Amino acid sequence: MKSANGGARVNRAGAAPYLFLAPALTMFALFLLVPIGYTVYLSLRRTKVSGLGFGKGSRKEIFVGLDNYATAVGDGELWAGWLRVLGYGALVLAVMLGLALVFALMLDAARVRLARFSRVAIFMPFAVPGVAAGLMWGFLYLPSVSPVHELFGVDLLSPSTVVYSMANVAVWGGTGFNMLVLYTNLRAISPDLYQAARIDGASELQIAIRIKIPILAPAIILTTVFSIIATIQVFTEPTVLRPLTNTISSTWSPLMKVYRDAFVTGDLYSAAATAMVIAGISLVLSFAFLRVVKNRAFGEA
Amino acid sequence: MHVNRLAAIAAATLAAAVVAGCSGGAGQSAAPSSAAPSSSAAAQKVSLTYWNWVPNMDKVVAAWNKSHPNIQVTSSTQAGGDDAATKFLTAAKAGNPPDLMQAEYQALPSFVAAEAVADIKPAADAVKPEFGEGIWGLVTLGTDAVYGIPQDSGPMMLYYREDLFKKYGIAVPTTWDEYAEAARTVHRKEPKVFLGTFSSKDPGSFAGLAQQAGGQWWSINGESWKVAVDDEPTRKLADYWGGLVKEGVIDDMPYFTPQWNKALNDGTLLTWPSAIWAPGPLTSNAPKAKGKWAIAQLPQWNAGENHSGFWGGSAVAVAAASKHKEAAAEFATWLNTDPEALGLLVKHGQVYPAATKGAALLTEPPAYFSNVPGFWRQAATFTAGARGFTFGPNVNVAYNAFRDAFDKAVLSKTSFSDALRTVQDATVADMTKAGFRLAQ
Amino acid sequence: MATSTLSGADQGVSRHAVRAARGPHGIVPTGILILGALYCLFPVSWVVLASTKTSGELFSTATFSLGTGFLQNLADLAAYRDGVFWLWMLNTLLYAGGGALLSTAVSAVSGYALAKYRFAGRDLIFNLLIGGILVPSVVLAIPQYLLFSKVGLAGTYWSVLLPQILHPYSIYLARVYAGAAIPDSLLEAGRIDGASHWTLLRRVALPLMTPGLVTIFLFQFVAIWNNFLLPFIMLGDDHRFPLTVGLYTMLAAGANNPALYNLILIGTFVALIPLIALFLTMQRFWRADLSSGAVKA
Repeated sequence: MKSANGGARVNRAGAAPYLFLAPALTMFALFLLVPIGYTVYLSLRRTKVSGLGFGKGSRKEIFVGLDNYATAVGDGELWAGWLRVLGYGALVLAVMLGLALVFALMLDAARVRLARFSRVAIFMPFAVPGVAAGLMWGFLYLPSVSPVHELFGVDLLSPSTVVYSMANVAVWGGTGFNMLVLYTNLRAISPDLYQAARIDGASELQIAIRIKIPILAPAIILTTVFSIIATIQVFTEPTVLRPLTNTISSTWSPLMKVYRDAFVTGDLYSAAATAMVIAGISLVLSFAFLRVVKNRAFGEA
Repeated sequence: MHVNRLAAIAAATLAAAVVAGCSGGAGQSAAPSSAAPSSSAAAQKVSLTYWNWVPNMDKVVAAWNKSHPNIQVTSSTQAGGDDAATKFLTAAKAGNPPDLMQAEYQALPSFVAAEAVADIKPAADAVKPEFGEGIWGLVTLGTDAVYGIPQDSGPMMLYYREDLFKKYGIAVPTTWDEYAEAARTVHRKEPKVFLGTFSSKDPGSFAGLAQQAGGQWWSINGESWKVAVDDEPTRKLADYWGGLVKEGVIDDMPYFTPQWNKALNDGTLLTWPSAIWAPGPLTSNAPKAKGKWAIAQLPQWNAGENHSGFWGGSAVAVAAASKHKEAAAEFATWLNTDPEALGLLVKHGQVYPAATKGAALLTEPPAYFSNVPGFWRQAATFTAGARGFTFGPNVNVAYNAFRDAFDKAVLSKTSFSDALRTVQDATVADMTKAGFRLAQ
Repeated sequence: MATSTLSGADQGVSRHAVRAARGPHGIVPTGILILGALYCLFPVSWVVLASTKTSGELFSTATFSLGTGFLQNLADLAAYRDGVFWLWMLNTLLYAGGGALLSTAVSAVSGYALAKYRFAGRDLIFNLLIGGILVPSVVLAIPQYLLFSKVGLAGTYWSVLLPQILHPYSIYLARVYAGAAIPDSLLEAGRIDGASHWTLLRRVALPLMTPGLVTIFLFQFVAIWNNFLLPFIMLGDDHRFPLTVGLYTMLAAGANNPALYNLILIGTFVALIPLIALFLTMQRFWRADLSSGAVKA
């Protein structure tokens, strides 16, 4: 994407870009930076109860420094959660992005039928709200009602299979989104880049592998980064399946622990600290990934 | 929020400077359970918001609004469960909670500890005789204050498939030993059928059974808490179910899943030790089995006893930050003691009223139990010996630990009393960390 | 890339000629796409089938079978609490429509500025905006609520609308689309003609970015449509709930109250319809190639 740089050379005008960015930056400050700052503030505090905890003044908020961070980092369950997410994440990323790429290329292929139908269909899962998803997967996974269990006799919620079932929920839900991102990127590629190849008799497959994928590389890389971050923050899939099975604990993934602390056990302070740790790890991982592939990401290393 | 602001504007326009008196609360006590508009609030129009998840509460509130033009209540239906409590606590922390809140008994202590609910003793004392001793303890938490008006309760009994008990030739178990024996019989005769299931997802149900067994998970000892989730009665209970699960004669699927619903429908699950509100969920989850279920006393630990426990139930609490605590307390007492209100709650809300006179309103059996004409009379006998226990300030932590620990124990078929120990440790650790004083 | 985009603009027509020549070779891609579509539709089709079942049928008939209660369910849904479902639907349309529109606008101008201008702090600003995605929204919801309460906005429509306007992913997408779809030569020509920055944005950049912006709008619309946690924590008044929170009140009514499975399922089904309609209307914008758009503009 050299056009980004080229464009920069064309427009050298003073205040305009800042004015264009003003709305985004204002929103960023108000609705992200301030709440993040507040979260950091909370992460350094804790409530302190005295006596029975009933009555006026028996509960105060106190400053505890990095105590919550120490607890978060020292929590073995959290690290076990990281390990679980690592295995799960690798699986989801590979399958989901692989499928998304294949589907996007197929949609963009010269001769394809029913493209519009497939596009809607593959995007459809994105539109099913979580409330219904819980019921839906219950019916698809629970042994006594699952058609898969009936056909193949596999218990999809046993300790050995539950990770795959969870990954399936994620792949099912996320492929359409990533497919559309890549597809719209493909549409931005000028066709005459492979027109010549086509005239020379190159097959669609060759064109896809030799021309389209390399051009798509920056988009694939960034999609991967976003997916890495989303996978680190995996929360919805295990939370949806948890009421159905004994195999998923309330701290299965790091973000589930954050949710548990914030919404179930009411310890917002620990939740804030753990969330900061998660953000830090996401930052490191995505930076590391970008470092490795940066030259290709925006061509501006 | 919105309503509060409207109220503020209305107050300003009327230029009636009364608010100070309302929030002080000491001088004027609200009229107890009277249908007539309160004289203290008559001069000023008040709007109250009320968060709850009772079905059709709109209709009950409409009756109040009609007879109380000066205290207008807006009911807002919320999602129940753990996160409803979090939502209320967060709103209270932010300073804009609703005036009235449905508070499950196990959540009330955490509301009190967070100073989110008000002491409404003056209004509440007047209606104290309307409630049983045990229920009242759940809203006083053993203190001198009163933190809510009890709305409904969930004394437990045994629901069983009458038709299938006949088919498998088993008698209704009167003791837990007989229950275990029946479980073996059923499973031997039909390996796909289970007498019951142990749900590791429903600590509330387990707590009710622990109450029946005589457990006391939390207690207040002077100025300190005593935590005994793994006391002797509860350990006995845990090992009992752990044994049955390990033996494989009891199923281990959680309640309230599509699979469980299906089992209730198709007769592969024969009993459900549940609370008096069970006709509601059974109606919606197992419509096919209508007219096939009957009720009995919960099996006892010793033959001849009559003990039961409580699963669920809630009170109506007044927010500490409410600007109209007296009006709110007046509504809460009306809602839960006035015959008209109780009648509406029973009819539209499928509520089993906590007020003793509520029982008189329950004449017709639930449609689902049309085969049990004396449903309510029987239920009253079976649950007469229900005993509760004091809930502590961190039930949410204990319940969450229960789900995790018992999930694991069920899965690996390991000792349930070890899992109970984990719950106890997590509960104590949380209270210690927060700074509660604990008795040793 | 920049140069090829320009030359591509001239030859955009020939691409259509090639596309038109459909032959038997389309079997493989078509087949793969159909398989993908079936995989994705399989669970969704359950929602559709289940919404036709009565509560008795839901837990007693085969999982994938048609029920007999579709119209009854629909009537029950419409009658539930005097039709509050439709109010939730309207609220959701307002949140998703308004939010997505504002979000697309903000992303478009930001992406354009980031892609087509060189200025001090560009990379820093971009990284900062994108970095917002690192902090999970699960933990931000409560601080956002507490802060909105401080300014008296908690519980209002704004409290749900405003925090969902800024979306890092959309800004990234807008930057990529702007970079790819707007030829520098066009901007250059406009500048020589004396067009202001604002005019260039409005007359040249935004029309060229339309297909990309449609994608962003669609993503944001569906994301806000399905967002649960933020409205759940922000809103107390059930007349302002969006569908997700409203349907959840039907499911989680406490153990002692029956969950209204039928209503949830029919509600989900009904809520799918506007999303499908939106998708079908929106996707015609993708038919215009991003590059060939340059010629028409």
